[in-house]
Amino acid sequence: MNRNYIFLTILMLVLAGGTLFLSMNDEPDQIDPKVLLEEMIQPTRYVSTDQVAKMLIQGDPSLMLIDVRSEDDYSYYTLPGAVNIPLDSLLVNGNLSYLGMPGTKVVFVSNDDIKADQMWVLTKRLGYNSTYVLKGGINCWMQTIIEPQRPSDDAPAVDFETYTFRKGAQMYFTGAGSGESEATKVDVEVRRREKSNVAAGGC
Amino acid sequence: MGPLIPNGIIGEGWDFVIAILIGIAFGFILEASGFSSSRNLAGVFYGYNFVVLRVFFTALIVAMVGLMYFDYFGWLDLSKIFILPTYLGPMIVGGIIMGFGFIIGGYCPGTSFTGIAIGKLDALFFTVGLYLGIMGFSLAFPLFEGFYNSGSMGNITLTELTGIPAPYFAMAFTVVALAAFWGTMFIEKRVRKNMKQYKF
Repeated sequence: MNRNYIFLTILMLVLAGGTLFLSMNDEPDQIDPKVLLEEMIQPTRYVSTDQVAKMLIQGDPSLMLIDVRSEDDYSYYTLPGAVNIPLDSLLVNGNLSYLGMPGTKVVFVSNDDIKADQMWVLTKRLGYNSTYVLKGGINCWMQTIIEPQRPSDDAPAVDFETYTFRKGAQMYFTGAGSGESEATKVDVEVRRREKSNVAAGGC
Repeated sequence: MGPLIPNGIIGEGWDFVIAILIGIAFGFILEASGFSSSRNLAGVFYGYNFVVLRVFFTALIVAMVGLMYFDYFGWLDLSKIFILPTYLGPMIVGGIIMGFGFIIGGYCPGTSFTGIAIGKLDALFFTVGLYLGIMGFSLAFPLFEGFYNSGSMGNITLTELTGIPAPYFAMAFTVVALAAFWGTMFIEKRVRKNMKQYKF
């Protein structure tokens, strides 16, 4: 018996046996329908406009906004730093690479939350985690952040705190209509000090 | 990544260049394995030389298992590979005819050319016969055109036909091939003992 033959026979058997353990499944990973349904009825996927505004102001690097509206809508108005992936082009041009980055929270944004919800279901079915939906979408963003309504005088203090924050966020995102604060009206007098030792010519 | 040409990694114009390179390699391996000798080839039938079985079975199982690993590693998309369409009846008949030709002539088409390359007269006559046969077949084609195209099963694989995953076939073929290697080694020894002379 040639030793090489024995060795090659064993090697081939091991390699062929190894194929039994390869997963030949080319289907994309899908979430279990039961888990998907459970997650769908949970409101945990929603983030409020206030939360998103806070993260944007703080410059939270883990936030990833994805605008799921059409390109025209996106170029007309969108949230700062949002990436445009229309609902129908999730699977083209490597758009999926925006999802599933560890440590990133992807928030889908649409006019309301219907399209964003649809996008959320699609990505969930593809098995991506940490995807969220902006509750109320850009309409809600406009109502709460860009044009916040002053709560009535008998509203609880929390509402006023929220209002104060929104007012600040409004200033941050629009930079307009914020009204001048008292501090800016103070004239700053610049008093020049007389130079004590004037160089008196010559050395 | 692969297949390289359908995925546009290599331009389509390169397929002939690659075909020539693979052809040269194939011819070299055939000749190096001793396939240019009709005695070697016909030896499978008479039981004194199973080199054909060993070489082709080795090529088969290595390629088969290798493709599976390539697919698993994402180097090759097996779903994009061309699969020869199966015509069950015509293929069985064709196989029988080819087998007869193999034993009678001592060559198969590819090996006859390697035989010519090293100057074997029998290979030359075999090749002349090969071309005459091709011409005869072409002229008589209308007679058996119906049978030629019958029993089409499309580009089907054993996995699609039976539903058994490909690795099980790979394992089974490998075991059968390895058993054949060792089994034929003993047959060879016994047959060769009774032979007066054995020359390639």
